[in-house]
Amino acid sequence: MDEATTPGRKGNLTGSARKLKDNAADWHNLILKWERLSDEGSTIATKIVNFRLSKESVKEPEVMMEGQNSSAVPAERSGYHSNPELEEECIKLQNVVDRMAHILAKMEKMVSAEKGICELETFQYGEKGRPAPLFQTWSTQQFAEVSSGLYEAYKQELALKRTILGEVAHTTNPDLCMVYLSCWLYQPYIQDNTKLLLESLLMETGYRAV
Amino acid sequence: MSQPVVLQLHQELRKCFQSLKANQMVWKGVLEECTPLVSSLGNLAEQLRALKSVEIANTPLSTFPNLPERLQYKLLNAVDTVLGELSDKVDALGLVRDSVCKQVSAVFQMYEQNSDVLPISTCVARCALSPSIADMLEWLQDTERYYRIQYIQRKNLLQLLKPDDLTLIETAPKRWTSLDSPREEERMTDALLQVSFFMESD
Repeated sequence: MDEATTPGRKGNLTGSARKLKDNAADWHNLILKWERLSDEGSTIATKIVNFRLSKESVKEPEVMMEGQNSSAVPAERSGYHSNPELEEECIKLQNVVDRMAHILAKMEKMVSAEKGICELETFQYGEKGRPAPLFQTWSTQQFAEVSSGLYEAYKQELALKRTILGEVAHTTNPDLCMVYLSCWLYQPYIQDNTKLLLESLLMETGYRAV
Repeated sequence: MSQPVVLQLHQELRKCFQSLKANQMVWKGVLEECTPLVSSLGNLAEQLRALKSVEIANTPLSTFPNLPERLQYKLLNAVDTVLGELSDKVDALGLVRDSVCKQVSAVFQMYEQNSDVLPISTCVARCALSPSIADMLEWLQDTERYYRIQYIQRKNLLQLLKPDDLTLIETAPKRWTSLDSPREEERMTDALLQVSFFMESD
């Protein structure tokens, strides 16, 4: 057996194995950070929606009273925009999304680094890759595949969150607001198999006992 | 002649009321733990309802592939988890019921075995420190019935809930709270207060 597979000797890892193992740890930590940010953002988004909906219910009778009066529309508009509290929450949410984008950028770097490792291997050992796996059973190619699978899920999720960020404070439909909130909270693009991929990655690299 | 029997029966009653008191605490605790679960069930139903009523294709979310299906899957999964947790809680309520039923039937068994030597006059006699045997037996029976019915009703409600039946899930929180019976709870507490001197005396 390769030295790399024995736990407690990770200090001896070098080269590609070292890099892959560090990446696995980074995946774990980045995803944890992501979850924390997502929770934080969920609280903020809920506040924004509640704020908007409570505003809505206050405004409704006012609009009805004014009836056909055309001044009702600009009044409503200014009601949305000159709201420092709402704006503050939106900035906070923007901030959360920015931090998530930062995480995603780090994920992307890992994906390209692992692609590089694969190419290096092809260069060193030819098309078949290295004769023995670096850790337990996975080929280096599999590491790259898992990484890019994880990356795709989070990329889609970030795009979704960006859309929600842009829309949540401008939606009058309470049902749609609710859908935005559930999307934010339940992260539909991060599926059970995403978690499974991460766990297998941790297991393969020896962070989790087999 | 009947004196030792009365003492023995009193002893058994004391034991039973002690255990009722403990069980009442456990019951209340479990019910309190159910409250957040039930409300999150209502919350999830609301989210599912919203998802159903929004035409995703006409919203800014339309570009996301399979979004409604994925979100629905996630939400239903969450409903499933909450239902599982609730079912554990209801099982805990079932344990309370079992324990109460066992205790109460032990007392009744003892009473029935000795009913020949317990004339009516003895059974209805009471004093400042102790309610009559008849009263206490009645309270025990009321309590036992209360727990039995409560457990069945809550279990039944939970069994009706299926993640794919949105209307049932939506109304579940209301129906769950409507099963609360503060009057019965109060009656039990009253009964326990009435036997407090009796429980301390020996």
